[in-house]
Parts: sequence; structure tokens; C-alpha cells
Amino acid sequence: MNVSAVIDRWLARVRAVFTKRALDADFADELAHHLESQTEENIRLGMTPAEARRQAQLSIGGSEQLRELHRETRSLPWLEQSWQDLRYAVRMFRRERGFTVTALLILAVGIGLNTTVFSLVNTVLLRPLPFAEADRLVWITNAGSKQELSGITSQIDTWEGLQATNRTLEQIEAYNPFSIRQTYRLTGGGDPLTIVSVEVSPGLFGLLGISPGHGRLFLPEDAAKNAPLRIIISNELWRRRFGADPNIIGRSVQINGDPVEVVGVLPPTDAFASVFFPAVRVDIYSPLQNEQYRLSGNVAYLIARMKTQVALPIVATDLKLAIAQIKQNHPERPDSDRYEANVTTVHEWVAGSLKRPLLFLWVATGLVLAIVGFNLGGLLLVRGLSRRKELALRCALGAARGRVVRQLLMECLTLVAAGSVLGVLLAWGFIQFLSIHTSVEIPLLQTLRLDAAALDFTVLLCAVTAVLCGAAPAWKLTRGMDLQKSLNEAGRSSAGGGSQSLTRNTLVILEVALACGLAISAGLMVRSLLNLLKTDLGFQPSDLIAVRIDPTVQGSQTKYLETVLDRVRAVPGIEFAGMTDCLPVERDRGWGIWTINDNPKEQRGNGAHVRVISPGFFAAMGTTLFAGRDFTQMDGPDKPRVVIINRTLAKWLWPSEENPVGHQVGLSFQDKLFTVIGVVGDVRHSGPEIPSGGEMYLSMQQELSYSWDMLVRTRLPVATLTADLRNALHDVDATLPLMKVRPMQTLVDRTLSSRRLLASLIGGFSAIAIGLAALGLYGVISYMVSQQTKEIGIRLAMGASPATVQWRIVQPTMRLALGGLILGVGGTIAAGRLLQSLLYGISADDGITYVVALGTVLACTVVAGYIPARRASRIDPMVALRTE
Amino acid sequence: MDKPQEIDFPLAYPQENMTKEKLDLLPGSLDLLVLQTLATMGPMHGYGIARRIEEVGADALLLNQGTIYAALVRLQQSKWIEAEWGTSDNNRKAKYYQLTARGRRRLASEADNWQRVSNVVARILRAKDATA
Repeated sequence: MNVSAVIDRWLARVRAVFTKRALDADFADELAHHLESQTEENIRLGMTPAEARRQAQLSIGGSEQLRELHRETRSLPWLEQSWQDLRYAVRMFRRERGFTVTALLILAVGIGLNTTVFSLVNTVLLRPLPFAEADRLVWITNAGSKQELSGITSQIDTWEGLQATNRTLEQIEAYNPFSIRQTYRLTGGGDPLTIVSVEVSPGLFGLLGISPGHGRLFLPEDAAKNAPLRIIISNELWRRRFGADPNIIGRSVQINGDPVEVVGVLPPTDAFASVFFPAVRVDIYSPLQNEQYRLSGNVAYLIARMKTQVALPIVATDLKLAIAQIKQNHPERPDSDRYEANVTTVHEWVAGSLKRPLLFLWVATGLVLAIVGFNLGGLLLVRGLSRRKELALRCALGAARGRVVRQLLMECLTLVAAGSVLGVLLAWGFIQFLSIHTSVEIPLLQTLRLDAAALDFTVLLCAVTAVLCGAAPAWKLTRGMDLQKSLNEAGRSSAGGGSQSLTRNTLVILEVALACGLAISAGLMVRSLLNLLKTDLGFQPSDLIAVRIDPTVQGSQTKYLETVLDRVRAVPGIEFAGMTDCLPVERDRGWGIWTINDNPKEQRGNGAHVRVISPGFFAAMGTTLFAGRDFTQMDGPDKPRVVIINRTLAKWLWPSEENPVGHQVGLSFQDKLFTVIGVVGDVRHSGPEIPSGGEMYLSMQQELSYSWDMLVRTRLPVATLTADLRNALHDVDATLPLMKVRPMQTLVDRTLSSRRLLASLIGGFSAIAIGLAALGLYGVISYMVSQQTKEIGIRLAMGASPATVQWRIVQPTMRLALGGLILGVGGTIAAGRLLQSLLYGISADDGITYVVALGTVLACTVVAGYIPARRASRIDPMVALRTE
Repeated sequence: MDKPQEIDFPLAYPQENMTKEKLDLLPGSLDLLVLQTLATMGPMHGYGIARRIEEVGADALLLNQGTIYAALVRLQQSKWIEAEWGTSDNNRKAKYYQLTARGRRRLASEADNWQRVSNVVARILRAKDATA
């Protein structure tokens, strides 16, 4: 068989579907020629012209059959029919513009939301992390709770010990999460730039399967003691600062005044940062030097690759044994150093806490789509009922039932497909917004794209929606299609078949129920957010601005910082200013602190957050001093060591004492004893959701630190403030970049960004849901009214008052709405457990929220039912009686 | 029209319900006839082809002239023949069909195939006669 002939034939047949008209005309001409030629021939044979034409026609056969045969041969009848159905559907929709626009909008929103949320869920939860063989990557944490960085990071010694003793891991690498806090100054070749760096072990990128865009990754010797400074830069910095110059490799750049060699440039997407530092722009990576941090306590996050064919529980056991081994080998490490190695998958570590919120969001969007489907189904059904006459006629004229069902399905599919295209456009917009909206702290959000998987999902949704919305009405409408009955009934005042109104009512009840569930969830989410916004943080974030100051001057750092503070305090409009090395919300680190007792048994100790501050810090923050005093200029480096603690820490260390001022304490990494000189209020250092732990403050005159933020209390706008500061500080430090001038409120809001996003999404969903439910109800009631016009007319003519008529219409509306409400409340209570885990400061069965949400839904549905009722009560009886 | 006579023609078999006297074409054979006609006669229009087949078949074939056009469109879509509008002898607009190179090859292989099949069929039928 000739393959190319077969292909050509099929292509031609498909083409023929769309060029029907031209081909028909062509064939008509050909037939005309045939007939005329045959007629002439017949005349030549002696026939009369009339007879000749008749015989010619006879010899060729019926022209209609001929055309049909020609069409069937040259094209694809089923495709041609579908094409015809499609064009018919488009024509119908163009005529019914109101219905079409409504349906398309509803569909676009439903499909758009679902595609967006699926992309999000797929990126964060379903897809493996963007690393090589990500399923074998594990995360090793220390003993502490997840909120305290110092508790869950590990010491360099532990890391090296695990590397030497474990038997289930191929490789263990590390990065220093504290290093992100320090900023550096990139100078030369433009304005000084504040850059952010992360210290990674030389093998980390290799372990994750990240290959350099240019140059190379780190080598073990880059992390050796006294190795020359080398960095890998981000693609973004490379483009922004170095004009994407490939010759940057091997060149030196000035960082904090020192020459640093660039050995590599990362690929355009920084997979490492997008997973581990979402919403942060990491500019450079430098090698984690073990010797520098050997004595610094817990500094490293550990990431490892499991050997093939090893399961997580086996690794867990192995690491437990390894830790025991290390403890045996290193008796010199103190007992207080309670280190562990707990293992989980990297994916679980990164995205585990997002599982519930995202699944909830997924369910919610699914519900929105369900409402969209029910609504569209209802609309099609109502619209279909008014077309019964047409459908009955078509059946009577010989259309098979299958053909009519197909026609109806095609209409629905056309509608849903067009809606899906709009929905995908909408999703594309949402995704652009989300991925560029980098202040939302969701891992991998920056890598969010509208990808093939999302489009596949959309096509699937589209098909399911079309079949669900289209099949039921098509089936119902064509069942028992009795021409006589339909022609008589259609347009008459019979309110559709009993089963049809049952279907419509069920759809409306379900819609109201789902809208109800969403409204209650939205209420709970919004109130959780409000509770968090009301939380006392222990400081006043409004009118408080953080200014990053990273001293690079040689000589006394304290002197520099004091000069800066003096100059800044002199600027008009600045009320208070203070320094801290550990900005609340953004940073944390912890040390041990313990009481000094004669009897070691009574000694109490604990981990606490530590920050080094300047005098005046508490005044700037708006944190209350409950006892004792603030630091002063007098607490110099040669004076006795002093510490200020918060109330929680005071309770932990001296549970029975009102005022611990004057007590002595010991601290990690410190030889000297410290005296408590003051007690301050608790500060929620990890954001509003996490209660304060123990906190201590040291004086910057007595303790060195490397990266500073100045907190300024002022009502000046950020731009004005920056300009004023630049003037005030020019002769102190001319190259101070002043690039990180950020309102504290913004930082606090960022910790709530995922929650705010969730609350506003669910809020939006519930608004859409309520609107759709009301629309569905409105459609059903309007239809009911239009079917009862005559009856209403009679009632009015017989003297019924408009109020009575209205009540007769509102009553069934209320019945449907109440049915939906009861179902919705039941469903929400059943889902309470899932909801509760997402809430803050409110119970999932909070009565007020239920009442408000239900009231809103009920009010909207009553309005939806009242509009047609009011219209009905104003019908002129005479007009109504004549309608037919 | 003349009363048709029965002939033994391998391209046809008797059709029961319809005019018993004429022979109906075996499926697929019409395409072969059209190709052969175009090969011998050169470019021709549909009417010409129909007439030519009727003449050669001595009117013994039950040829629904309309089916010629289905065959023509089939052949044209397979690119075995190509068509062009032209002017006929009686000065009318007519669509002329012409064999392509691909069509010529197709004709050769199909004619050969047909010949062999019909020989085999004929042989079997004769053998059946002998045993009966």
C-alpha cells in the first residue's frame, strides 16, 4: 500500500471539512457540465430536448444523493458534523450574548483559579525539588525547636564526626544560615552596593546537582584555612553589576575593601536560594571555612545524600549510632552540649509546613470550580428548557437522539473550551503576579511557571467540566422527547418536568452549601489574620525604620557606631535611634545562659536569644523596661560585664523572684560573669505567630558583632529619611550604601505574607462562591416566575396583594437557601480539624464567625430571590393573562 | 436502450436486488478503470471518462455515472490524478483529469495485482466445476 497516498488522502479529507462550500460549488459545476454534455449527446441521438435532459438526469442519478456521496468520499462526515455543530454553537452563543458572557466569565474564573493553584501545589508539593535525584536528599537537624536557628543547626565538629562515622550517607554538605544576616559592600565600577552572601561548603552545589553557568564551583582548597577569598556570584548580580561579562571569571572585585576572586557564576535560576531562601535575593556565595567556625557553636545546616537503596528510618538509626560514637570519641565536649542528628527529607523540611495550607487551598479552588460547574449546568438546563420546542422539532424532522445530544454536548464543550482559554490567560496573569511578588515567603515561588503539567491539568478540568455540565442537561432534555407533548407544552405555563426542577433545585442547594463552607472558612482565616495583626509584638513596628549599617572602617567599631548614632540623633524629625546586631523578625541566634549558685544542683540554665545593642535601643523600639536600667556610655569594655534580660528569661532563671536585677549569670563563649542590670518586656523576635522565648541583650561596647541595623523612630518617609541620613553621615562614611532602609512594619508583614495570601485568596473565593450561588438561585427563581406568569396574573386579577405574590416566590427561595446552609454548616463542621490547624487565636467552631458568614450568604440569596419576586408582583394582570 | 446481453466479464458479479441483467462493478475496480482510461486517453473530463468506460464495457456494466465522481475525488485526494479546469470540445467549462507519475505507478501495480487475483479466482471456479 502506498503510505504517502494514504496520508495525502487523509489530509485532503480533513482539509475538505473546512472548505465545504468551495468544494460543493466546484462539484456543482462539474455535474452541470456532465448533464449538459449528456443532454447534447441524447439530442444528437434523436431525443426531444426535454426527453434528452430527463434521460441525462436519470443516467447520472439523483443530484442530492450524488452530492452526498461526493461529500462522504471527499471528507470526514463525523468531523464535518462536529464542525457544523461547532459553528452552530458559536452562532447560538453570539446571539445569546448575555448568557455567553456570563458563562465565559464564570468559567474563566473557575478554571483560572484552579490552574494557578494547581501550578502552586505542583511546584511546591508534588514535583520533586529542583535538585539532582532529590528523593535521596535528606536534612539533618539538631535537638532544638524549629523556631530557634541556634537550636537546630549543628557544630562543625558534629558535621565532621557524622561524615566519618555514618554508614548510610554518601556525602554530607553544609551551609551557614547565619551568614545571610551579614551584608557586605561591593565597591568599584559603580555606586557601592549592599550585597548578601551565604557560606556554603565546597561540595554543596555538587551534591545538589547545581552546575555553574560560567567558571567553576568551589573546590576543597577554597575552604582551607587562610585560603585566598573566592566567591561564586549570582546570575542576577552578574548581569546587573558586571554586564554579563564572561571574562569576570578569575577577576578580582572589591568587597568590604578587600580583593576577592570570582571563580564562578550561577545559572539564571538560583535553585539553592529559591528553595532555602525564598523572598531573599542572595548575591554571592563564599566557601564555608570550617576552622573559622569550629569554636562558634551551632552554625551549620546539614544536607546529605542517602546511599541508594537505603530508607529514611535506617538512616535515622544509623545517625543515632553515629552520634553515640562521636560522644564516646569526644569526651571533652561538655554534657550541656546536647547534640543530636535527626533526619528528614529535604522536601519535608522545606515544604512540610505548607502541606496543609496548600491542600486546603486546593480543596477550596476545587469547590469554586464545582460551584462554577453547578451554575453552568443550571444555566444550560434553564436555557435548554426554553429550547425544548426547537429540539423537539429537530427530533421530529429526523435527527437521531444521539445527534441532538452530541449537538448539545458540543455547545457545552465549545463554551467550556473558550472559558478555559480565558482561564489560562487569567492563570498566566496570577502566576506572573505571584512569582514576581517575591515578598511572599513560599519556597520555589520564584520558579513558578505556567508549565505543560498545568496545561494538561487544565485540559483535564475542561473535559471533566464540559461533560459534567453538558451531559446531564443534554440527557434530561432529550429524554422522552415527544414532539406532540413538547410542542404543546413548550412556552406554556407548565414549570418544566418534575425531575428537571428537582435537578435544578439540587444544583442550587449544593451551590449554596459550598458557598457557605467557603464563607465560614474565609471568616475564620480573616479573623486569624486580624488576631495576629493585633498581637503585641513587644515593640512598636509603625514609624520604626531599620537602616543597615555595616562598618568597614578600620579602627574602633564602637567609636564608629557611636559617631553614626550621634549624627543621626541630631537629624530633625528623628525621635530615637539605637543599634542592634540582630533585627527582630529577621534574625535570630541563641546562646546558653545560667545562674551562678554555690550549689551546682540549684543552678538553672537555658538557651536564649542574644542580641548586642547600643544604649537607646529600647527607646527606639518602644520596648518597656520593667526593672533596672538601660545600658549607658559607662558600660565600657573595661567595666564589669552587664546583661539585660526579658521577663520570660527572668521567670525561667529565678522563678520565685520579682526582681532579678543584681544577680550574676554565666554565658556561652564568655569567660567573665555578667550582672543582670535590667528586665525588659518580651519581644516576638520570630514574628507575631511565635511566642517569645528567653531573650538577653549585651552592650555593643562590651561585645563585638559584625553586622548592624540602626533602628530609627521617625515619621519621615523612607526616601526623605535616606536623603537626610546620607547628608548627615557623608563625612563619617562616604561609601555607606544606605540601600537597606526598611520600615519594620514591612518586615513584620512579610512574616504574615503566606497567611495574608491564603486569607485573601480564600476571601476572594468565598466572594466568588456567594456571587455564583446567588446568580444560580436568581436564575432558577427567574425561570420559575417566567413559567408562572399566567398564574401570577390570575392571582393578581383575583385581588391578591403584591406582598402575597412576592411571598409565594420568596418562600421557595428561602427553602432552597436554608437547605444549602444546613448542608454547608454540616460540611464545615466535619472539616473543622483541617481548618483548626490553619487558624490562630480562634476556634474552628467560632459561633460569631458562623453567624456572620451564614447571615451574609442568606442575605445574598434572599436578594437574589427577591428581585424576580418583585418583578413578578408588578406584572399587569391583563398582560400576564395574554402571554402565551 | 438496447437489451443488454450476458457476458462473462471478470470485473463484475451479478447483483441480486437490482437490474439482474446488468453487471455491478466489484468494489475498487472502478478506480482501476478510471486510471486505465486516463492512461490510454490522456486528460479527460468526468463525462468523457464515464462515456468511455460505458463504451468499452459495451454497456454491459451497470455503471452509475455518479459514482465516477466519487472515484475521481478519491483518486485526486490520493494524488494519483490531478485536475484542472479547462474548456471542452463543445466549448464548455470542464474539469480535466490527468494521470500523475504516482498514478501511473499505481495503475501498473494495481492492474498486475488484479490480473493475478482474477486468474486465481478463475482457476478455483473452474476446479469447482470439474468436481461437481
